Formats: sequence, C-alpha cells, structure tokens
Amino acid sequence: MRRHGLLGTALLLGLTALAGCSGGGSEAEGQSSDGTDPISIWASLNTNVSITLKSMNEITAIQEWEKATGIQTEFQHPAVGAENEQFNVMLASSELPDVMFVYGDYAKLYNDGSIIRLNELIDEHAPNLKKILDENPEVAKQLKADNGDIYAIPHLRLGEYKTFGGTFIRQDWLDELGLEKPETLDEWETVLKAFKESKGVSAPLLYGAPPKMTTMGPAAANFLEAYGVTNTVFLKDGKVVYGPIEPEYKQFLDMFHRWYDEGLIDPDFATNDQKTYDAKILDSQAGAFFTYIGGGIGRYLPALQETDPDADLTPVQFPVRNKGEEPMFTGRSWEWSGAGATITKSNKQPEETVKALDYFFGEEGHMLKNFGVEGETYTMVDGYPTYTAEILENPDGLSVVQAMAKHFIANYPFVGEDDDRYNEQYYQLQQQKDAVELFSKYSENTLEVSIPPISLTTEESNEYSKIMNDITTYRDEMFIKFVVGAEPIENFDKFVEQIKKFNVDRAVEIQQDAVDRYNAR
Amino acid sequence: MSGDSRKFRGTQQALGAPRRLSGSSTGTESANWFARLWLNYKKNKAIYWMVLPVVLYFLVFKYLPMYGAIIAFKDYTVGKGIWGSEWVGFQHFRDFFESYYFWRILKNTLVLSFYQLLFGFPAPILLALLLNELRHEMFKRTVQTVSYIPHFISIVVICGMVVDFSARGGLFNSIITFFGGTDSSLLSDPSNFRTLYTASSIWQELGFSTIIYLAALSGINPELYDASRVDGASRLRQVWHITLPGILPMIMILLILRIGGLMEIGFEKIILLYNPNVYDTADVISTFVYRKGISEGAEFSYTTAVGLFQSVVNFILLLGANRLSKVLSDNKLF
Repeated sequence: MRRHGLLGTALLLGLTALAGCSGGGSEAEGQSSDGTDPISIWASLNTNVSITLKSMNEITAIQEWEKATGIQTEFQHPAVGAENEQFNVMLASSELPDVMFVYGDYAKLYNDGSIIRLNELIDEHAPNLKKILDENPEVAKQLKADNGDIYAIPHLRLGEYKTFGGTFIRQDWLDELGLEKPETLDEWETVLKAFKESKGVSAPLLYGAPPKMTTMGPAAANFLEAYGVTNTVFLKDGKVVYGPIEPEYKQFLDMFHRWYDEGLIDPDFATNDQKTYDAKILDSQAGAFFTYIGGGIGRYLPALQETDPDADLTPVQFPVRNKGEEPMFTGRSWEWSGAGATITKSNKQPEETVKALDYFFGEEGHMLKNFGVEGETYTMVDGYPTYTAEILENPDGLSVVQAMAKHFIANYPFVGEDDDRYNEQYYQLQQQKDAVELFSKYSENTLEVSIPPISLTTEESNEYSKIMNDITTYRDEMFIKFVVGAEPIENFDKFVEQIKKFNVDRAVEIQQDAVDRYNAR
Repeated sequence: MSGDSRKFRGTQQALGAPRRLSGSSTGTESANWFARLWLNYKKNKAIYWMVLPVVLYFLVFKYLPMYGAIIAFKDYTVGKGIWGSEWVGFQHFRDFFESYYFWRILKNTLVLSFYQLLFGFPAPILLALLLNELRHEMFKRTVQTVSYIPHFISIVVICGMVVDFSARGGLFNSIITFFGGTDSSLLSDPSNFRTLYTASSIWQELGFSTIIYLAALSGINPELYDASRVDGASRLRQVWHITLPGILPMIMILLILRIGGLMEIGFEKIILLYNPNVYDTADVISTFVYRKGISEGAEFSYTTAVGLFQSVVNFILLLGANRLSKVLSDNKLF
C-alpha cells in the first residue's frame, strides 16, 4: 500500500510533476474489504445524474438493488472531464476499487493483472446472465475474448434500438426557403448555402467538439462517411483499412475545405466545447448538426422553442454521394455496447459481487434498471410498464431524461439489458420518434463495415495504441490544416506518406489478425 | 556530480570542519565525520530537531519518488509492477528522439521559455526602477497594489479570460475590429499563441515579481545617491551607476533560477489555452507528456522517459547558468 502510494507519486514526478491531476478519485483509501464492507464501484457520473444527485448511491434503483441483494455499495466518481486521466492514474497506483465500470481494452486490463476473469464466476453465480449468453450465441461471441475468457459483466442492447444519434436540421428554415431535406452531398451544399445567404447564420453546418472533444466531431464524420470511408479503421470488403489514407478521404477534405472557405461550416469547429456548441444551437446560429436523439434533441428542441415557437429540428438521413445510394455508417451499436463492469483483483468478495450484478439480468432487476420502482416511477397498464408523472411530467421541473436518471439507470451504459419499452417512452417528441426510425433504417449496413468487438493481446494492444496515438494526433491536426487551408490539398500524398511512416500498416495488420480470430471464434 | 560534493563540503564547513580541497574520503575520515556530527548534535540538539521535518519532507516527497523514474528504462505494466517489468535500456529515449514530434515540442519548449525570459525577465526590473523613481508615496503604492493583484487570480480564471477575450466577438476582437481589422478566433491561429501566452504571463506576474526587486532597492545606501548628486549625476546616471549595480546580485540569482527552469514551461497554462489547431506552436514537452501519459494514452514508461529527458536538460542548464554567473558577477547559488 505504502509502496504503491510511492509509485503513484513517482509516476507523477516522472511525468514532470503533473501536480493536481491525482486530486480526488482516491476516496477508497483505507477501506479494506473483508466480507462485510461495502463494495466500492468506480464509475463515471452521468451528467443527467449529477444535475440532481451527488453520487450514484443516491439513485433509487441502486438503493433498491442493495436491499434486494443484501449488499452495500460505495460509488466512486471521477471528476467530469478528467475520467481518462483519473482512470489511468488509478491503474498506475494499483489502488483499485472492487468494481470498475469501463469501456475499453478489457484484455489489456486483464493481462496487466488489474481485473480477473469471470467465466467460472458467471457459470456458478450469474444464472440470469448465463441464460442470456446461452440463448444468444452472437452476444456470447462478442463478449468473449479470443481464448473464450469473459472479463466484463456486460451492458447489452438486444432490442430494436441500436442507433442513438444523427444529424438534425432546422426544418423551419427549410420550409421557409422552400427546400427539401438534403440527401446527397450536392443537395447538402445547396441547403447550407441557402442557410448562409438567406438566414445569415455563422454555422450553417455545426460540428466539432462534443460528445468526444475531438476536432473530428461526429457531424464531420457523417459527411466523410458519405464517401464510404470513416476516420479510423473499418472494414472494406471484409478487409481492415485505415480511412484517412484512402483516396476518398482526399475528396472529402477537398469538399470540406471548399465548404469552409464559403462559410458553410462553423469557422470555430476546432475550438468548440460543449458550451459554445450549445450556444450556437440555441442562438439559432446552427442550421444542421449532430446530436443524440434522447439527451440532445430532448434538451435543444424545448429550449429553442421557448425563445422561438416556430423553431423545429428534424432528423436527416445520413448523407450519401449519389442519389439512391445507401449510407453504410450509421453508428449502430453492437448487441454488447462494449461497456461493462469488471471485477478487480482487489475485490475480496467476487462471488457476492457477481451474484449482485447478475440481479440486473433477472426479471426484477431488469424492471428496476429500466423502469424503477413500480407504483413510484411506473405502473403496469395492460402488462405494459408505463412511466408515471414523476418521470414524464416531473413535479420538480426535471426533464424526462433527468427524472429517469434520478430514479433508475436506463439512459447510459450500466450492467443489464436495455428495454425497448423504455426507449419507446423515452422519445416523447414526434421528432425523436421519427429520428429513431430514420436513423436505424440502414443500420444493418453498418455491420458490414464496422470492426466487431475484437480483443487484442497485450503486446498487440501496446503496439497498436502506440502507433495509433501518434497517428490520431497527426490526423486531427492535419484535418484542421487541410480544412482551413493552412495545408494545401496537394500535400495529401505527403500526409499519407507520413501516416505510413508511423507504421499504419502494422496497426492495420494487428486489427486484421484480431478480426480473423474473431470470425474464427 | 561536482555540485553534490561541493554541497558536501559546504555542510562540513557549517559543522565547523576544516575545508578540504580534495574530495577523497577514507574510512577513518568518514568515521571522524560521524563523530564530529554526533558531537555537534549534542551541542545543538534543538536545531537538529528543527531541521528534521524539512529533511524528511525532501526525502519522502522529492527523493524517494525518484525511484519510480526507473520505469523510463523499463517496459512498465501495472500488473508486473516497477521491479517486475522488463528492462529495455534506452529504448524509450531512442523512440522519443526519433519521434515525429521530437523537434517540434523541443523547439516549442525552448522558444516559449526563451520568450518568457527575454520579455518576462526584464519587465519587472523596469517596473521596479520606474516605481523607485516615484516620489508620491500614495500613487506608488496604488500602482504597486493594482499591478500585483492579477498574481492572486487563479490561472484557470486567467486562461478562461484570455480564451473568452480572444474568441470571435471577444474583447480583443472588438478592439481589432474597431481599428479596422477582421474578427477571427485568435487562439486558433498558431502564429498568435506565443504572443498571447507570453503577454498574459507578463501581465499576471509583473507586479508581484517587482516586490523582490523593490526590497533589494530599499537596501541601497541612500548616501550613494546623495554623493552622486553632489557630483552632478543625472537621474539616469544614478540608475546606471548606483541602482542597477545595487540590485545586480538579486538579478543574477533570479536569472539563474529562471534559466534552471527554462525547460519547465507551466503545462497547466498551455493546456488551458491550447487546442489541436495550435499544436504547431503550443505543444511543449510537458503537455505532450500529459497527453500521451495520462489523458489520451497510458504510455507510462515512454512519457516518464520524456519527462526525465526534460529534467536532465534543466539540470545541465542550471549548472551552466551557475557557472556563467560565477564568471560574470562572482555570484552563485551553490
């Protein structure tokens, strides 16, 4: 313990004394599990929860869960925006909680010795999850590593709803200008130009930071994906390729640079943060942008209409190059969302923990996770769990998503299975209902192009992340330069050459091997 | 290191030992040393106990953690721990020197530091000299107070202000457009970053840094001024021949300290100000280490090596500056 504390300090010193980064996140100190102690759970705190609660311990469903399973939990939350840093520092310090909710490289965590393998524990102590895995071999395939190991108690999406975001457009402006919803890139250009000229807005197409704070925000990726490539590795005719070095990427940059010059895209795209992004939407400076159906539109539309009752946001199909083409990339989630709970090596009561987590896969736990407490947050109407006014018209003025987040865990990844009946009621606005249908129309195509939930060996994973770390930084920087014109498009070949120098071929090879192993499972 | 042995001799002197010119030490000599230490301890118990917490502080928080720096020479994985991980020698250093970003972050680090030194170092001296010439006490104190208040504002707030001011439609842009310029996002342009960074640093630290010079100024014997006035020296002459030489030792010591930290650009401020647009001029060693080591990737060994490289360069610079100062002004830190 003392030694590890030193190691933590040592790392910080070694990393040129990055003071202040390790603050918080070590609340578990001095607490040793000996069977009766609470189970400490590390999870990032969803922003919809943090509006009303300080910790997930206060969520009604968690309290009910503790009662039903007889366990005690103690949630630890990293500071918002510093999740990655704090997670890495926590791993490096080896002071682990009992359970970590993560989304990422499970095999590496296991090979590093941070988490344990769960196969036997699931066989013996998680009958509900085991049943699901036995009945859905496809899910089991996704969840298992190449050697058959299972490292996470998963968050599953077995129902219809697997696409959660897409591009939305100001329908009221389209109507006013007598335009149709754009389908192809050319039509998009016409529409954006009309927005620019007739409405005089600064960001006809807004993109950039959220939800991942990268310059290549999802909206930009959607337009890139119209060219049939994406901004990272994907499957092209079953083979792994790296999108940015494909010739289509150059065509995309060419177009985006033109759009930038003509003022069709947000000039501040590289510096946007959530605040400025929201502000541009709510100030009616944005004509079209990417957002999520639930958390995004559920928030923007009511707020917009408060100031401008005519404002309307409607979903637009993912753009394509030529009329009649089908979009391939739709952001469809796999059945296993990739998120899950891991049991760390510090956990002194893994059986009890797995048993408790398995509760969410049983009938009772499933209802608790998705609907909360019967009589309080939902009532059964003809066998259909219907949310009460506490959720749909919250007396404290909370929005639907906020009220849900206060009582149960349906809107963000957690252990258990998402229920379609939750999504059906979650999307209250017509625009949201249209969106979910529109965005999932081509979602099966996505299975052909996206990399399945593969697992890499430690060596592969280290090598891959090292290569991709350099490439990603370089790609993002060069993307900006090409778009704003700081780098002429003629230098695209140099860009490709540099990425090759970073050894992108090896990265692709690693992915290909893993995909082959996945297919052979 | 020569610095260490010198320090060692310094301790001996402080303990009342005769000064030795050669650093050779034999068994009996060190036994003597301990015996003398013990005697001295008996004599000055209270002082030794008083210094103990400080020594412990440095041992525990400054020296022990250095043990972790060995992961720079290993392929550190969390599971295997510091000792269990494999040795890879200078692999991580080689990787860094051959990295695409090596020259860029090294150059940015040096250039930003150099700007800080070039513009940031003389600024408080000038202000101190100006304040020193003021005869109206009230006015002097007001200026002083106003100028050092920014020092007490959190760096996060300062950077928030700079970001807001330089955004489209912000204060800086309002001024620029007033004089006929165009409204643009100043912090997205790599060519502005160094100016904004250096200028805001000077603005924030200017007043506070003058305090130490003003203290040095007040130590100058006023009779020197009187004498020079009798000799008919002008104000400027007085500054040149009395004031500046009077505070020169202070200037040199602060300069040595500054040079020692030349590579140590404050990463908080850059992280708060930069964005991928301006990595070209803004990305420095410490921000690179932060991104690769903690926030984006978890390449602990590699980034420790990079951090260590920076510390070594710093150390060399510090020794160099100390030597230089000794040659130039016979002032030195150690």
